[in-house]
Amino acid sequence: MLPELLRPEPLVEGSISAAVLDERVLAFPERRPPRAWFVAFAAAASCMSLGFALIGYTIVTGIGVWGNNRPVAWAFDIINFVFWIGIGHAGTLISAILFLFRARWRNGLARFAEAMTIFAVMTAGLFPLIHLGRPWLAYWLFPYPNQRGLWPNFRSPLMWDVFAVSTYFSVSILFWYLGLLPDLASLRDRTTSRARRILYTILSLGWRGSAGHWRHYEKAYLLLAGLATGLVLSVHSVVSFDFAVSVVPGWHMTIFPPYFVVGAIFSGFAMVVLVLAVVRRVMALEDLITLRHLELGNKVILGCSCLMGYSYLCEAFTAWYSMNPYIHHTFLQYISGTYGWAGWLAIACNTLVPQIFWLRRARRSLPVMAIVGVAALAGMWFERFTIIVISLYHDFLPSSWLVYKPTFVDYGILLGSFGFFFTCVLLFSRVLPVIATSEVKGSLHD
Amino acid sequence: MTENIFGVVGLFEDPAALLKAVPLVQSKRLGKLEAYTPYPVHGLPGVLGLSRSPLGGMVLVMGALGTLTAFLFQWWMNSVDYPLVVGGKDPSSWQAFVPIMFEVTVLFAAFTAGLGMLLLLNRLPDLWHPFLLSKSCAEVTRDKFALSIEAESGSLDVAAAQAILRQAGALSVEVVAFPAPASKVSLNALLALSAAGALTCALAGAGMYGAVKLFPVLPPMSHMLVQPRLDAQQRGMRPPVAGTVARGRMPYLGALGNPLPRTKAVLELGRKVFSNNCLICHGPLANGTPILTAAYGAKPANLQAKKFLSYTDGEIYHAIMHGKNAMPALGLGFTEDERWAVVHYVRALQRAQHAQDTDLP
Ligand code: HEC
Repeated sequence: MLPELLRPEPLVEGSISAAVLDERVLAFPERRPPRAWFVAFAAAASCMSLGFALIGYTIVTGIGVWGNNRPVAWAFDIINFVFWIGIGHAGTLISAILFLFRARWRNGLARFAEAMTIFAVMTAGLFPLIHLGRPWLAYWLFPYPNQRGLWPNFRSPLMWDVFAVSTYFSVSILFWYLGLLPDLASLRDRTTSRARRILYTILSLGWRGSAGHWRHYEKAYLLLAGLATGLVLSVHSVVSFDFAVSVVPGWHMTIFPPYFVVGAIFSGFAMVVLVLAVVRRVMALEDLITLRHLELGNKVILGCSCLMGYSYLCEAFTAWYSMNPYIHHTFLQYISGTYGWAGWLAIACNTLVPQIFWLRRARRSLPVMAIVGVAALAGMWFERFTIIVISLYHDFLPSSWLVYKPTFVDYGILLGSFGFFFTCVLLFSRVLPVIATSEVKGSLHD
Repeated sequence: MTENIFGVVGLFEDPAALLKAVPLVQSKRLGKLEAYTPYPVHGLPGVLGLSRSPLGGMVLVMGALGTLTAFLFQWWMNSVDYPLVVGGKDPSSWQAFVPIMFEVTVLFAAFTAGLGMLLLLNRLPDLWHPFLLSKSCAEVTRDKFALSIEAESGSLDVAAAQAILRQAGALSVEVVAFPAPASKVSLNALLALSAAGALTCALAGAGMYGAVKLFPVLPPMSHMLVQPRLDAQQRGMRPPVAGTVARGRMPYLGALGNPLPRTKAVLELGRKVFSNNCLICHGPLANGTPILTAAYGAKPANLQAKKFLSYTDGEIYHAIMHGKNAMPALGLGFTEDERWAVVHYVRALQRAQHAQDTDLP
């Protein structure tokens, strides 16, 4: 055995047997949740209701109630879309990429992070839909034979986006559900209520954990992890194509795909660390989701933050090197125009603030994590604001320049999107096991 | 009563105990051996003699099918049935189809992996499997490891099976029977169910009809025209700033002369820009003797030729801004002053090669 100093910190604090693990994690859905849960749920659900009321208002009245106008036709709706899709990426990274790397610390986090992926993609999906203006015609995006004899334009990045996001959503759900199966079987066998037993029997498809089944299951999980890895890298790349394939100054750059993917992972991990720091306290899971887990998450944040800094520099260099006065102008607007403060905020929050994580003390301190997490989320939101709004409001013709001003509907729907996301997260933590017990059991024994 | 017996299940404390028990139980050949575990146990499929999972091959085939499907769909829709020209490309160009081909490949492959595993290979859902109704099942999904000897062709020596499992070190041994056949669904219940179904359909249909008739809330096409900010999409352009020129009009070609004075500083600036940008093609004297090798391919104009001597300043400026044939449009790389300064400098070069007596001091 290695000397004390060199040994890695254990993933689970204290000694926990599989039976105790079940008692701790699986009993949660059967018990009455703590008061904090109800408070949080009330808050999230109120924000969500506000958001949906305003979405209803938008649909009934038309998107003229937003601040969007020529030349800024994309604003909060697309910013929120890109932001939320990005949040989802951490979950797939944890569940798929870290699985392939055999990073066992992911086991404790995977379930929660995957759930956040699904909810984040659901939240994100709302926005392109309402941005259509006439969302009841959204099915026009899909290739189906119609009287007009028209087909969608498959050479448009917006179409690629439809396919990328819907594939991502369905594959994430599948992946998540497969992971849940053994836990649903455990829930089925331990519950005493008949209704729950029937429900869990159906949901678990009668999973019985036979050796023959596990053999195919493990293979399927491995294959899905591999596929999800390629998928998650492609999704934000395709989202970035929405911008990069156009000729708008500030968007038309080859750095966009990797730059967007890194940003997505960065903001996603910020959200995961932030939420888990709260959840482990409220649900008393501090020995299962340990400071070590959060510290490792913070290291990912630090790494991504450095890559973000590199991307910003690269972007600035490309802009300067292009010798194109339109691009020069857009870049100056990022940091000095009406919304120059947004650009500086993004740079500060995304590249400077996380540098504190070079200190081990900071990586393991909950208040510091909370501050950096919030800063990273705000920074990433404003980064998208910078990219989208500022690149648009000064377009090629000075005669059509117009400063963009969001309306209260824009703000309300943004708040509502957070409400929707957290409502889903809270409901999930109430009804399903938040830790993949069968995976953790597997790593308890060796 | 052995006909009704599914199998005999022994529980073990940990994976090691289970793995140790298998060979002993196997040697007796009492029935089909199966193990149930809370998580995958390494080495177990090997000991039980299970073959490798064929899932990888299935996923590969379906993934390839996904690629092909996506390609053919897009190609048929955008190149054959309704050819679309995008960005001036050939309607049959395939490059832009790649992102969707990738996504559909992943979609097909992932669902083959997930559903193929569950439905095809594992034959789930199986909600009435005898093991699910045993007491051992709950132990297994918590933390125990079960080895079960299951009846083959309807018969099993229960006593021997119990004995061998005990001998192999099982904590407890359970005899699992097939569940009693479920009571038959009565005809009346079926009738009631179908009547309820029909009634629901009729009600839903009538409701939809009424709703659409009475409240045509969302007349899709006129909708966007009635909204508080009708003017939203109708904002005119702002009046153009002073000095704006209409697209396609180039006043500098004719009357408009060079706005810069012909001072020493301007000529110096022009010389700098010319040496850095034009000299390599047009030669130091602008007479079309390039420093470039023949590999360049084109022949830069001899600006000392008669034709160019009679060019207006505006025409030279135009060549800098927009290029011509093999000459690239360089204009956007310079400031306006730099462009006009080069024009002065080119003029000076021309004058130097075609000096007249009057030029002598
Ligand atoms: C890459 C090589 C290259 C560079 C650099 C270049 N030129 Fe040219 N230029 C050409 C070629 C080739 C032509 C002949 C085009 C033709 O007529 O087909 C040309 C033609 C011209 C003409 C005549 C256009 C006409 O109307 O026929 C002018 C004037 C001229 N160049 C000015 C300049 C100036 C000023 C610069 C520097 C700012 C410059 N060029 C830089 C290659 C170059």
